[in-house]
Amino acid sequence: MTLRLNRRRFLMGSSALMAAGAVGLRPVLAQDGRIRLLFWGGQDRADRTYGVSDLFESQTGAAVDGEFLGWGDYWTKLGTQTAGGNAPDVMQMDYRYIVEYATRGAIAPLDEFVGEVLELADFDADQIEGGRVNDQLYGISLGANSVAMLNNLSAFEQVGIDPPDRNTTYADWREMGEAFNSSDIGMKALSDGSGVEPMLDNWLRQQGLMLYTADGELGFGEDEAVEWFRMWQELREADIIVSAEQQALDTGGGLEATMVVQKLSASMPSNSNQLVAYQSLMEDDLSISSYPRIEPGSGGGHYRKPSMFFSVAGSSSAKETAARFVNFFVNDVEAAEILGVERGIPCAEHVREALAPQLDEKSRIALEFVANLDDLLGPLPPPPPPAAGEIDSSLLRTISQEIAFGARSPEDGGRAFVEGARDILSRASS
Amino acid sequence: MTASSLESGSRGAGNKVGTRNVLAKIWQQDGPGYMFLLPWLIGFFGLTVGPMVTSLYLSFTDFDLLTDPNWVGASNYVRMFTADPKFAAAMRVTFFFVIFSVPLKLAFALLVAMLLNRGLRGLPLYRAIFYLPSLLGTSVAIAILWRQLFAGDGLVNQFLANFGIDGPSWISNPRYSLWTLIVLSVWQFGSPMIIFLAGLRQIPQDMYEAASLDGASKFRQFYKITLPLLTPVVFFNAIVQTIEAFKSFTPAFVISGGTGAPINSTLFYTLYLYQEAFGFFRMGYASALAWFLLAMIAAFTAFSFLTSKYWVHYDD
Repeated sequence: MTLRLNRRRFLMGSSALMAAGAVGLRPVLAQDGRIRLLFWGGQDRADRTYGVSDLFESQTGAAVDGEFLGWGDYWTKLGTQTAGGNAPDVMQMDYRYIVEYATRGAIAPLDEFVGEVLELADFDADQIEGGRVNDQLYGISLGANSVAMLNNLSAFEQVGIDPPDRNTTYADWREMGEAFNSSDIGMKALSDGSGVEPMLDNWLRQQGLMLYTADGELGFGEDEAVEWFRMWQELREADIIVSAEQQALDTGGGLEATMVVQKLSASMPSNSNQLVAYQSLMEDDLSISSYPRIEPGSGGGHYRKPSMFFSVAGSSSAKETAARFVNFFVNDVEAAEILGVERGIPCAEHVREALAPQLDEKSRIALEFVANLDDLLGPLPPPPPPAAGEIDSSLLRTISQEIAFGARSPEDGGRAFVEGARDILSRASS
Repeated sequence: MTASSLESGSRGAGNKVGTRNVLAKIWQQDGPGYMFLLPWLIGFFGLTVGPMVTSLYLSFTDFDLLTDPNWVGASNYVRMFTADPKFAAAMRVTFFFVIFSVPLKLAFALLVAMLLNRGLRGLPLYRAIFYLPSLLGTSVAIAILWRQLFAGDGLVNQFLANFGIDGPSWISNPRYSLWTLIVLSVWQFGSPMIIFLAGLRQIPQDMYEAASLDGASKFRQFYKITLPLLTPVVFFNAIVQTIEAFKSFTPAFVISGGTGAPINSTLFYTLYLYQEAFGFFRMGYASALAWFLLAMIAAFTAFSFLTSKYWVHYDD
């Protein structure tokens, strides 16, 4: 009898303990002035980021627990944590998602910290503007970058032609592709860009159009979509670009599967800040150039994009420490030396000046590319609507493949794309 | 031993008090048992039943992770069947996969089991080796391996090149990509094979002896003895493997980079569900998809059980 009572008590007690443990978990994690940081990227970015957070801890005593994931998994984890009321204090944020997170209160406006713990006096105006949603500052840009063609210079040298430059047009690419085909290099000049959203965007902007308007509507029509797919179909039929099967190997999982790294094409659309990361994967000499012009003299397709932001969670209990960390990240020269231009060109002028003389060759190429876009540069487009990601991943890429594999004609594909995109946009806004 | 002393102990306690109602008596008898089950019960209700009920509720909402769910009635389910071409694509891919991978896998498993059942020396070793792929199972590593094998310049094409065949890039061609996943599934034949092997060993040898005395060919013996006596095992394997096939996720996720590419040719139902939930944050719609999957699997299983009496042969 006594024994049984004891056993029951023990069971009751232990289950109560378990329940208490489950409830008490979060406060235990959140205490003692540590802040949590979540970002997407690879090992190189992680090493640099942790270097800065260690430095921050040694100077301020505030520890930063960092965690990083690939782009795809990142948004899953961030979304889940945010929904669970357990968002990281500081998170890396993309232009694509900032409006969604800001309007839902998942990230906090930082205006109250500006001039206090957050110093933005010599910060690029367009980069501050890029972090604003409804006139409040929700994201601090970690660097400016721009879309760029990634070119394998060694391959161009082997074929014996000049690599592309800022004046190269789509027609020039076709000629270069023919030169590649008549050589024995066994590589195409160009990857298949028909499913690459920024490339379509750039092509539209050169015609004075845009992917999405400020009201979140589609900024172009069926005619443009058909013309876009037809242009690529012609390049495909002329054997200038990689085959559909080859392009489909690149599922967006990582740099390793891309056409240039696989040595299936000499060039492909990419971003200026990624030159450093790609070069670390390849022996061949790489460089970047602007996206092709649609005709000589046309410009305005590029823009200086905030490559990514740091935002502070709306639910964070340590917003000031978090803002202090963000400030350290973008303003401290010692931190900048660790970070380099891996996240894009630093936005604070004093950081840029301190950093420029110390950069290695590839980093300097990236910096100069973004600084000298001139007539290629157009205005910053409005933030894309929330459904843009879905239109990109489940519509543009699929239709581009359907055309490449011959399951649709460019005309049919263009129509289906515009119709599908409007459908997704209206569903998202309803 | 412990159980019986425990039982008598509680009975004794019940008798002493004497005037308890039935419920209390049951509690007296079974209460300690439930207490021992408590850690599991907490997990079961907290981590399985709770979320399942929640997801049933969410399937009638527009929950998007960041904002509170709004009740939208059955519109998620209506959309599924009336206005979602990707859902239709995912259903096609999944049914194609189930219809081809399950019979092929079972046939292959049975074939290997029969080969192993011929009194081989070192049977345990072979059994273990053949079971190995199933242990590695649906891991990410295997899916990556598959990607390497079936890529344009992968091992498969290097082998084919010996015969002058210029193979396509199997995994990135929409015509073949699903087949590479079916082959991957068939390759993991270990667990039905083990069960078939156990089933084969239950068949009395004297039946075969009698049959061969009567002049029955090997094929006839298989058809008239092995297969009928094995039907309960076939039935079991078919149900388990079909459920597995419906739920299959990892290989398609890894091989297509989570996209179902090329052209949605590897867009398994579960992969589409995952995209909707964690790619586009439509948790309400994804919950509806999950419940429809459950209903589909349940319906299939019920159908199998109902038809089983016509083809499953039980000895007793």
